[in-house]
Amino acid sequence: MLTSYTIEGFENIQYQGFKALSDIEKKLNHLFRLYGYHQVATPTFEAYDLYAGEDAIPSDDLFKLVNHQGKVLALKPDATMPVARMAAINHHNPEEIIKFFYLTNLYRNFSSPDIVKKEITQMGVEFFGDERPECDGEIIALAIESLFCNGITDVQIDLGHVGFINYLLDELDITPEDRAMLFKLIDNKNIGDIHDFLSRRNFDPKISGIIAQLPMLYGDPVTVFKKMDALCVNRRMEAVVRDLKAVYHHLDIIGMARYITFDLGFTSAMNYYSGMIFKAYVGNWGAPVIDGGRYDTLSAKFGIDRPACGFAIDILELMDYMEQHDLLNHQVSPHTVILYRPGDKCQAFHLCRGLRSDGTITEMFRVDDTPEALIPQLMNQALYRPSRFFLIDGGSLYKWQDSRFIPILDIDGQKGDA
Amino acid sequence: MKIKIALAKGRVAKKAIALLTDIGYLFPDYSEDSRKLIFTDTTEAIEFFLVKSPDVGTYVEKGAADIGIVGRDVLMEHPAKVYELLNLNIGQCRMCVAGYADTRIQFNKKLTVGTKYPNIAKQYFNSIDQPVDLIMINGSVELAPILGLSDCIVDIVESGSTLRENGLVVLNTICDISSRLIVNQVSLKTKSAYIDPIIHRFEAMAL
Repeated sequence: MLTSYTIEGFENIQYQGFKALSDIEKKLNHLFRLYGYHQVATPTFEAYDLYAGEDAIPSDDLFKLVNHQGKVLALKPDATMPVARMAAINHHNPEEIIKFFYLTNLYRNFSSPDIVKKEITQMGVEFFGDERPECDGEIIALAIESLFCNGITDVQIDLGHVGFINYLLDELDITPEDRAMLFKLIDNKNIGDIHDFLSRRNFDPKISGIIAQLPMLYGDPVTVFKKMDALCVNRRMEAVVRDLKAVYHHLDIIGMARYITFDLGFTSAMNYYSGMIFKAYVGNWGAPVIDGGRYDTLSAKFGIDRPACGFAIDILELMDYMEQHDLLNHQVSPHTVILYRPGDKCQAFHLCRGLRSDGTITEMFRVDDTPEALIPQLMNQALYRPSRFFLIDGGSLYKWQDSRFIPILDIDGQKGDA
Repeated sequence: MKIKIALAKGRVAKKAIALLTDIGYLFPDYSEDSRKLIFTDTTEAIEFFLVKSPDVGTYVEKGAADIGIVGRDVLMEHPAKVYELLNLNIGQCRMCVAGYADTRIQFNKKLTVGTKYPNIAKQYFNSIDQPVDLIMINGSVELAPILGLSDCIVDIVESGSTLRENGLVVLNTICDISSRLIVNQVSLKTKSAYIDPIIHRFEAMAL
């Protein structure tokens, strides 16, 4: 059985899909370059130790292998950490501005309740060395642009900040387990269970009251800002509001504010995020296609303390959305197929060389018996359906039209004579 | 824009429809034996359909429904990426370990457990470090200890009358169960003008 060789969680990309995929990648590549980003690549394998300490990706979800020296490796489960490390290794001045983009496959158990995807394709940007709101603004605007350039207009950015919840919980004497539990409940907007949870703990009622409001702290930025102002209980929370206001103000000036909504009740699975975080939704698609945020403390792990901000696009998820909304270009360009008799080989190759140098996709097949039989056989094959067929026989050119060969003088001006 | 609501067939559906009526959405063409699949309320603000309870989370996660009403037991057994917004305080019951009154849970010995909820049972027994053999049973779970198929069962208990009639008792309560209002994570943001008023009505009833 063929199926027994299929591994769950991995996908083939058919030729039509691959063309659509590379179209998307080309557009993004162009866009990122226009913004001054440089493309980089990091190895497929990573030292397992790099991820072992991160509780963001449970080590059970990693693909591990042992190399010839007995060192444990992992298939790259995340793109940001390797790129941050690369920036740290090659650029030692922490003040340096570094703008990178990448296209990579990632491997891990991306377990959502019913999907067992194990390989995804991500394209993303990382902007190192700038902690001002304009940098956040550029990253968010670039995320929006990267959807626009693929013909998607129904874009919504959900903007949050990891600090707001964390600095609030810092007011409490709370165990790491309780903190994680609360994050999960707030992330699920599970208001019922949050009330239950808080009623079973001896927390300051004022703080508990604010925690209970976090799940509903979403929507139109201006309204959310008003609510946030009233909820701050310390300087650091006030600073978060100031930061977000500055980013929002920047986006307003550059005309991107209409795509922004706020949600201070979402957290990120990746625990390297240290400030603003965001997700991009398209239409009513059930999953975000872009994830991003600020990670000012990650680079210090690799020896260079520098602020950074970036995002990644889940390309295959984006492609699924575009497929469902007819935004993909599946048009396979028609091939020119030239059949030749053994004696016409030299002329046929000249002809093909000429056509290819004009940019025409050209294929050739030798015919020994009846070309009339070969053509219908080819036309029935998926890869040759949108093709046009020609024949060279005894030095003369023919075109296949209405099920017969019609003599012609040239193909697109090419005759094939030496 | 009509907001689509998925209701879990069975125990929860009746109470959920009564609740929808209480908060002001009337479904004149709904009756229990109706062959229609989708019912729209008189104000055309919402429509609901009935699906098997484990599917409610799937419909809502994928956005085929904006809102779902389903028991917490189902969400625990079949987790979905959704906002578990409100506890509706309907369909209340408990997730319990039940068996004969003289069943001793011995921590040094493997316990055989019959259940419709293998995930919940596994998590619970893991959390108390009790080694178990789980037997998946799809209905009439009470039969398992009676016929000697298992030492005990994990199931939802509403009044306890089924257990009593079969000579079984609750040995341990795992957690309380009630129906939840779940919302698609994207709909909540993108259709908030339509969804918020519905949620506020539910909220007013639930509190």
